[in-house]
Amino acid sequence: MSQRSAGPDPKLLEILVCPLTKEPLRFDAERQELISEKAGLAYPIRDGIPIMLVDEARPLDPDSQPMIG
Amino acid sequence: MPQDKSQEQGSFSSFAAVKAAYGRNAGIYDLVFGAALDRGRRAALQAMDCGLSRRVLEIGVGTGLSLPSYSPQARVVGIDVSPEMLVKARERAERLNLRQVEVLAVMDGQRLAFRDGSFEAVVAMYVLSVTPEPRRLLREMRRVCAPGGEVFIINRFSSAKKLGRLVERIASPLSSAIGFRTTLSPEVLDELDGMTLAERRDIPGFTGTKMLRYVKPG
Repeated sequence: MSQRSAGPDPKLLEILVCPLTKEPLRFDAERQELISEKAGLAYPIRDGIPIMLVDEARPLDPDSQPMIG
Repeated sequence: MPQDKSQEQGSFSSFAAVKAAYGRNAGIYDLVFGAALDRGRRAALQAMDCGLSRRVLEIGVGTGLSLPSYSPQARVVGIDVSPEMLVKARERAERLNLRQVEVLAVMDGQRLAFRDGSFEAVVAMYVLSVTPEPRRLLREMRRVCAPGGEVFIINRFSSAKKLGRLVERIASPLSSAIGFRTTLSPEVLDELDGMTLAERRDIPGFTGTKMLRYVKPG
């Protein structure tokens, strides 16, 4: 993890959007996550590979369930 | 052909089942699928004119068997349901210094994390048969394909002939054991209505397996 903590390839943010809302994502360097504000989900980057699955995303607000459409 | 419906659903009724199966088989995937599927892959890559420098999405990139075939000038994004497979794909890209590989990401082809019109070529080789909802996958492929871009599909489609269907039914349990549904109705392709079918090629040695190239109006 440590050698990849500098940040994702800038191309990731250029190319990827939230699979639910198709909105742009924000990178959280500390947590190594791609954040979709609108969906309220954080998509993890594990071992340098983004996991763009709604089922494996972390809800930003633990009290609210993500809307799955 | 309503009796074919149940088989079209196959053993991969859920995304999780597909993902788990490919995770388990990441180690032997190249051995099993490398040679067997090579002809179809070669045909598609030839038809794609891989010398072109353009942005390509390969859905179901797996361990990256086809990655070395793309031009170094291309910009290839590879997605797969299995992170285990993608780790192998990345190792291959690093080992062979494949500059064309831009991004590898875990993704469900039925719910792509790309903007509309992101790619000049969208490729799915032997993916439709292992997708729980192939129509959703096709709609997503069309969405992320740029105007003037191309969608490439390689898949085995169910035979219109009765004898062919019988053979398919007998072979089906064998195939599902290694993660393949043998029959897929060509009717699902009507999701690409509005695109032009520019090429339809038989893949030699695999009855019913076709390479289809669609062009999105510019």
